[in-house]
Amino acid sequence: MILAAANNAAGNAADATRQVLWNISHAWVMYALLVPTMLIFGRGVYRQVKKWRAGRPVQRFDRPGERIKRVVRHVLLQQATLRDRFAGAYHFLLFWGMITLTIATTVVLIHHDLGLPVMQGRFYLYFQSLFVDCLGLLAMVGVAMLAVRRWIVRPKKLVPTRESTGLLVLLFVILGTGFLLEGWRIAATNDPWGRWSPVGSIVAAGSLAVANVETLKSAHLFTWWFHLLIVFGLIAWAPYTKLLHVLTAPLNIYTANLDAGGGTLKTIDFDNAPSFGINSLEQFTWKDLLDLDACTECGRCTSVCPANTVGKQLSPRDLILDMQHLLDRSDLASVSGPADADDDYEPAFPVIGSTAALSPEALWQCTSCAACVEACPVSIEQLPKIIDLRRFEVMENAKFPQTLQDAVGSLEERGHPFKGTQFSRVDWAQALHTQGFDVPTIGDVQDPEVLLWAGCGGALVERNQKSTQALAQLLSKAGVKYAILGREETCTGDPARRIGNEFLFETLAQQNIETFRTNNIRTVVTSCPHCFNTFRNEYPRLGGEFEVMHHTTFLAKLIGEGRLTINAEATEKITFHDPCYLGRHNGITEPPRELLQRSARAPLIEMAQHGQQSFCCGGGGGMSFVDEAPDQRVNQERARQALATDAETVAVGCPFCTTMLEDGINAVKGDREMAVKDIAEIIWESVSGGVDSG
Amino acid sequence: MQILVCLKQILDPEVPPRDFQIDRGRRAAIQGSANLVTNIFCENALETALQLRERSEGEISALSIGPASAEDVLRKAIALKVDHACLVEQEVAGSGSHSAITARLLAAAIRKLGTFDLILLGREAGDWGAGQTGGLLAEELGLPFVGFVDHIEAADGGVVLRRQTDTGWEKVRAELPLVATITNSEENVPRIPKTRDIMKSHRKPLTTWKPSDLGLSEEDVSSAADALEVVDLYIPEKTGECEFIQGESIEEKANAFAARIAAVVQRAGV
Ligand code: SF4
Ligand code: SF4
Repeated sequence: MILAAANNAAGNAADATRQVLWNISHAWVMYALLVPTMLIFGRGVYRQVKKWRAGRPVQRFDRPGERIKRVVRHVLLQQATLRDRFAGAYHFLLFWGMITLTIATTVVLIHHDLGLPVMQGRFYLYFQSLFVDCLGLLAMVGVAMLAVRRWIVRPKKLVPTRESTGLLVLLFVILGTGFLLEGWRIAATNDPWGRWSPVGSIVAAGSLAVANVETLKSAHLFTWWFHLLIVFGLIAWAPYTKLLHVLTAPLNIYTANLDAGGGTLKTIDFDNAPSFGINSLEQFTWKDLLDLDACTECGRCTSVCPANTVGKQLSPRDLILDMQHLLDRSDLASVSGPADADDDYEPAFPVIGSTAALSPEALWQCTSCAACVEACPVSIEQLPKIIDLRRFEVMENAKFPQTLQDAVGSLEERGHPFKGTQFSRVDWAQALHTQGFDVPTIGDVQDPEVLLWAGCGGALVERNQKSTQALAQLLSKAGVKYAILGREETCTGDPARRIGNEFLFETLAQQNIETFRTNNIRTVVTSCPHCFNTFRNEYPRLGGEFEVMHHTTFLAKLIGEGRLTINAEATEKITFHDPCYLGRHNGITEPPRELLQRSARAPLIEMAQHGQQSFCCGGGGGMSFVDEAPDQRVNQERARQALATDAETVAVGCPFCTTMLEDGINAVKGDREMAVKDIAEIIWESVSGGVDSG
Repeated sequence: MQILVCLKQILDPEVPPRDFQIDRGRRAAIQGSANLVTNIFCENALETALQLRERSEGEISALSIGPASAEDVLRKAIALKVDHACLVEQEVAGSGSHSAITARLLAAAIRKLGTFDLILLGREAGDWGAGQTGGLLAEELGLPFVGFVDHIEAADGGVVLRRQTDTGWEKVRAELPLVATITNSEENVPRIPKTRDIMKSHRKPLTTWKPSDLGLSEEDVSSAADALEVVDLYIPEKTGECEFIQGESIEEKANAFAARIAAVVQRAGV
């Protein structure tokens, strides 16, 4: 024992410390046990690391500054975790409690084993005693909250497993025995600084009331070894359990995708890729594989998934976990390099259809809303994996729902996904023409300020033509020199991409980029967030660099510059539905609200789920082309959420949302009346004041 | 089994009504902004052939007559893994309205291509909807003909064909070779090609002939042309009239309404 005895009378705080291993002999056994513990731990970690390394390359160590910021926000401050108040709170307590206890143990190690006397004086009193004791207590509170949630509240999103119960019990035992050991040491050594450890001194006082010093000494001895074994046991076991996330979560958050939602899908090298899309684990990137191991099983993704909410099979959590289990069972390193680009690509570790959560049915229920990605506290990217798997079904298997095949077929033949539409791309403009309002086409305008991109949804669906007409009239009213492409427009490729036909997406995108180039287009305004997202996040990689604005942003700008004036404020009560591809995928939630605030008399009413946490209309990811079971319609669920407010109108900023919500509201509204209007329609009413129609 | 499938490229039947244009003088449709697509019943025929090949061994050849653009139709068939493809390049007079000429050209091409057990066509094309080519082709080739087939099964050296009739289905046992036209059913919904196969389809061989390569004389073709003449072609104009029925009581209105309907029906000669 290098240390001075601690049981001198309390005196100078500068001398405060405690004796390490005061009651323990044969301490070498501890060091001996540490060796196998670390070996088992190391093997567990190495096993996983080896698997990740079998994945394909992807750059995720660039922009370190941004990455470190992410780690500070989501690991140290636990911002994403704290979004779920209760679970976030106990996780925060456990996280900081365990970190503090680990630091405290390290301090002991430095002090005792390295012989650097750090554990003394005020540091010993304030940190090692008081602070550590309090944080330990808070961790205990965290464990209690965890237990309450797991056994009493039992939220649907948690799937209890024996492993998680085991881990919970171990944590409790470790913290509990830690306090007992501290208390008994204080009691038995009559520690003069004992009162700096509040929990310890209470335990000490309580124990002395029922037992004598000798009994406490033996209890301490026994419990010390027990505590040690449990701690070592947990360390050795951790990498084989979901506790692995202690390592994987920070790593995963550091290596997260930093691009906006739309930029997260992979590109495919069609000349060399052994398979188009993914149906075998080794085809994923190392980051995808790391994602699988980082899952904490918290279930937040599934609880916000619109498809799951309405009772469909899709569960992003189970999708990730089932792949994780598959990864556990698979020896990825055994696959020798990428296969040749030949016909008979045989997946080594097939994913699709291997479990219910990975069934084709589930894959074709995803609206690509990215609520799961947004909700995940450890930055797991569920959506891009779903698209990877869809790609395989579409491009390699050529098997997917018939209505989606029709949409893809229509995209191939006609450049739009609306099979059977009665309209051409210019009908909405021609209808305005008959009312004496001319919409200029690109050839007619010299050097237009902006290109008005109507989009397939805005031009070919009757309901949305009104919104597109309102927008054109607004632009003209504001004196914007604009033009449309008319028949030269072709789908941006968004539906093809989300459905999984990357090849078709690239073909369509290149066609548009070429059109933009020939017409020298620099700024695009569109009312479709899907088009917006594709232009903004996906075209640059294909060489399509131009400015793109969602119409809500552009209209807000026009009003801000005084080019448009609100003459009559809307009198109705309005709520706003955030389109996923505007809010969540691109972080644009304010401009539309600002616009509505300016044009309406009453304050905007918010639905419970809004902004980045909004709930999908059910129309993204190609799902507006799929017939959903009548009792499992996402749009009706969102309609109910809108109807639950006392708004009279739902404002939207997306042609798909417009039709999905209108259908949903009509189906479930009963006697209640509720209108669905594109923001352009609302602003047009306010600007024209019902008098001058341009 | 050697199967030959005839495929026709047509103007997209889904062209929005306001975009559909014709040239009345030439008595032909104008492509305008419409796309060119494979006739849907031809796709059903190809699907029927592909399924038949999966169940019993054999080879599929695809044949099309049309302008150079019809190559697309054949490339798509190649992507679906037909074994051979042949295009007879011809700017068809009247946009392929003339079934008799088409049948004669097809027959000549088929003779040149080889011998086939089963020759499949769509039951009609989505442009003119004449539904004549199948029967006329059988006539040209001197082969038996079964129309409106939606399922084919190989059986004892021949085939069993299921055909749709006005009242239900008929099953026909037939010797080979024969010509059949295919209609759509739940079973022959056309499949879609795999992306890799689409990419590869452009590198696969494709036979291209001119009508002159088929050994037909001018006369052979013109004699077929005599069989049919399109006299006029126009887009029917849709008009609507709105009329309010007058009357004091509801009975009076109902009676007046009934009388009006009777008059209208009579005038229309129904
Ligand atoms: S993207 Fe949306 S629909 Fe798809 S799994 Fe995630 S939450 Fe569910
Ligand atoms: S994927 Fe993320 S949100 Fe979903 S269960 Fe795992 S950790 Fe939780």
